[in-house]
Amino acid sequence: MDLQRINVKFFVENPDGILLTDFIRIFNSWIQASDGEYYDIADYHHVHAGPGVLLIAHEANISIDNTGNRLGLLYNRKQPLSGNNQEKLDFVFRSALEFCRRIEEEPAPQGKIKFGGNEFLFLINDRLLAPNSAATFRAVSPDLEKIAKTLYAGAEFLMDHRNDAREIFAVKVKSLVHFEVLELLHNLQDHGELKKEGSWDTTRSLSK
Amino acid sequence: MTAVESWKQKLAHLMPPDLAREIDIFETQIELRKQGKIDERVFAETRLRRGVYGQRYDNGQRHDGVRVQKLRLPSGGLTKGPETVWDAPGMIRIKIPFGGLNPEQMEVLADLSEEYADGISHVTTRQDIQYHFVHIDDTPSLMRRLAAVGITTREACGNVVRNVTACPLAGVCKDEVFDVTPYAKACSKFLLGHPDTQDFGRKFKIAFSGCKQHPCGLTSMHDMGAIAKKKVVNGEERRGFEFYVGGGLGAVPYRAQLFNDFLPQEELLPIAQAASRVFARLGEKRNRARARVKFLVANLGIDEFRRMVLEEREKLAADPRWTDYLSRLHEWAEKPLKPGVSLDGSERPAGFDAWYATNVYHQEQPGYVVATVTLPLGDITADQLRALADIAPRFVKDTIRTTVEQNLVFRWVSEADLPDLYKALCQIGLGEPNAGTIVDVTACPGTDTCKLGIASSRGLARKLRTHLSEASLQLDEAVKGLRIKVSGCFNSCGQHHIADIGFYGISRNVNGYTVPHFQVMLGGKFKDNAGAYGLPVGAVPSKRIPEVVTLVTDRYVRERQRGESFQDFISRIGKKEVKAMLDGLTKVPPHDVDPSYYSDWGDPREFTLTDMGVGECAGEVVSQAQFTLAASERELFEAQIYFDSGDFKKAVLTAYGAMVQAAQGIVKTQHYDISDNEEAILSEFQQRFCDTQLFYDKYAGRQFADYLFKAREALKSRGEIGEDLALRRLQEAQLFIDAAHSCYKKLSELQSASRASVAGTASPGEG
Ligand code: SF4
Repeated sequence: MDLQRINVKFFVENPDGILLTDFIRIFNSWIQASDGEYYDIADYHHVHAGPGVLLIAHEANISIDNTGNRLGLLYNRKQPLSGNNQEKLDFVFRSALEFCRRIEEEPAPQGKIKFGGNEFLFLINDRLLAPNSAATFRAVSPDLEKIAKTLYAGAEFLMDHRNDAREIFAVKVKSLVHFEVLELLHNLQDHGELKKEGSWDTTRSLSK
Repeated sequence: MTAVESWKQKLAHLMPPDLAREIDIFETQIELRKQGKIDERVFAETRLRRGVYGQRYDNGQRHDGVRVQKLRLPSGGLTKGPETVWDAPGMIRIKIPFGGLNPEQMEVLADLSEEYADGISHVTTRQDIQYHFVHIDDTPSLMRRLAAVGITTREACGNVVRNVTACPLAGVCKDEVFDVTPYAKACSKFLLGHPDTQDFGRKFKIAFSGCKQHPCGLTSMHDMGAIAKKKVVNGEERRGFEFYVGGGLGAVPYRAQLFNDFLPQEELLPIAQAASRVFARLGEKRNRARARVKFLVANLGIDEFRRMVLEEREKLAADPRWTDYLSRLHEWAEKPLKPGVSLDGSERPAGFDAWYATNVYHQEQPGYVVATVTLPLGDITADQLRALADIAPRFVKDTIRTTVEQNLVFRWVSEADLPDLYKALCQIGLGEPNAGTIVDVTACPGTDTCKLGIASSRGLARKLRTHLSEASLQLDEAVKGLRIKVSGCFNSCGQHHIADIGFYGISRNVNGYTVPHFQVMLGGKFKDNAGAYGLPVGAVPSKRIPEVVTLVTDRYVRERQRGESFQDFISRIGKKEVKAMLDGLTKVPPHDVDPSYYSDWGDPREFTLTDMGVGECAGEVVSQAQFTLAASERELFEAQIYFDSGDFKKAVLTAYGAMVQAAQGIVKTQHYDISDNEEAILSEFQQRFCDTQLFYDKYAGRQFADYLFKAREALKSRGEIGEDLALRRLQEAQLFIDAAHSCYKKLSELQSASRASVAGTASPGEG
């Protein structure tokens, strides 16, 4: 299976008191610091358990997403990625985690925001490519397991998939050990170095 | 896993062949455009007719609050229309005739918003659904998935017949004459893609209403409006319509005029077809600003327009579709899922009573109610929409509709089921009360996504919703029933003209900055099918609009007379008084004292109009010009006072004087010594600003300048001046003055650029 439209969501550890509207200011400062990379900000903080505040870009949207009433950073890759599945997953996870790290470094009125590294949601936002079925799970599992092993550096983790043909394909992955975002980034980095592929630049696009 | 098939293959057996074929053609057109084989203008109109619309920043640049950024889009010069970059995300409008939806369609809509847009389905003020941030390459798949559940985006945009709307209560309303649903559906189907509707100069909107007195259909503000009516003819009760044409909002609102006080049902479609032919043949084609049916009807006069349509009708070859559906009217009758049982004695969950008071309508059919699902700003998430698709079959059959107030309704709910329905809605965050109250603010997309937006209508609406819902328990009943509607610009997609309290976005140049403002409109009437349009009472900085609402409503509560409506109250106290009340809110503090005035709601960027793509301008700015512009506003206000007192002639003369003064202000930017002589002002204005296109709106062209010259010609012709004409002249004068402010701003910017150039900071292209 050629993985595309990969989404990853890392959850906020300390969601109490976080105002979605603060992210409008944060994303706006990112836009100002970039050079045309981001298209716009979409503000849906007024809807219940919704997409929150999105930073729209051509290749991927980033959002502080509150779907399922769980606040987290959602990285939504829209444009096709090239390479093999591990390369694509590696790219998506590095990108998502870099954005988490960047948010953790942002000063916010109610204190620093922290993401939990020990749990993430892996999604494929394409019902044609990846219907939410046991067959898709079987097809995706080897690649997902492999990247999770890298992220969690051998620590034990669980993969939880629920068959529901109506929802987009989603697998919750949870490690039994606590991880920080930075640790996950290091684990990916170490793995990359072991493979002697040099360091990764998460702003580098793998799209065709 | 097996190889992935395409949506085209997967849904081939589910799509109606004609829709499938149309989408194939559109996909081919996309390919041809990519190969440069279709002109960008032709392609633009093609995609518009498929509901594929542009979105803000799709010219490839965006102001980030400090500078304009060129957006990184890999289109390589490919465009999907003039100044519209291929890879820039766009908006998709999905036609939902009369707002009718079933659970299967809701589920697909939810999926598509998730996969192709930003996870939100947005209900519009014309019962459509819109997605934002969609890539054009995804649109054929999106359309196929809609087609598989019987939905089309065809002719949702472009110069065609748009979504046919109808009362969301049609068929269950206590006041209706009969159910207009089958007529709306037949009309929508008949005119969709009809050869006689393909050559319009502008869009054409149709609405149906079951009665005259309520607002659900809003027929008065449509190009064509049909109100259900019965008549006894030769001893037999016949169905027909009170039939109107030539209404419309937009920059200058026109109320529809009576075409026929009883159009027999058999004549509905042939007359709609004949009117389409007349519009296609005689409607303005070059000047978009004058191309709606309302201008044609106004120019020809309703009698002549009617004569031409009837003449055209006589020439039409009979079409069985005109009446075929009439023999099957009974098939449209909706069935309830359960017997209608009253609520008595049922346990009421917390919060239920407040919701019940505002969100439940008792149907004509005993034991049944219509339950409104309040959608904040018309937005619903994919999860919520999918959940609603699950909830609906527990309570109703396929009887869900969108509303022009940007909500959803469940019809045919057994009243005894309401507590369970309410609990289910609360579980998905949709148990909000206040439907149809002052809290339930309607707004167009505005600067969030619309290319023409001036101010943030959604940002303001969001703020007002919060502000009012916090106070909702304390709100007086008379205030609760008022409507607030907000548009991001004068084009009035938010329908500000028909609100008790309406706002439309404008800008003002203050202390050398551009400051977001809203024009305050009071006294519009939502009832009686949009029975009256509001009048502007003054421009207020965006950040002080919540205070406007508080001031105006508090005063209404304090001083209204027994049973006095808001419209009557506003007319009684007079606009002079209202304006005086707002005067304290119009001041803008210096930037260093309070910079918050200089950005819009929900947007930290310093406010700018740059994203609208302002054209070049030249001239020298002098403070005298500003002064004269301010004086013109004052004069217009006096015109409004004359209007209120019923002196329409004086109102028109004074409004014209205000426009001349505004023109004089603009002329002064280039010609200090311009005299007060009207002829001289107009001549200079024509030469210096019209002929040179300096007084030119990027989208409206010379429309605003034309208001001035048209008003002058009309005064010369000494025709009769009635209330409608006077009202229109006032509106036009306001728009002209707003345009004068915009022009002044452009001239100021040019002056600054010129100063910078003298100081050696000229941009690279300068000689
Ligand atoms: S009223 Fe203006 S800002 Fe609002 S949607 Fe219409 S054109 Fe856009």
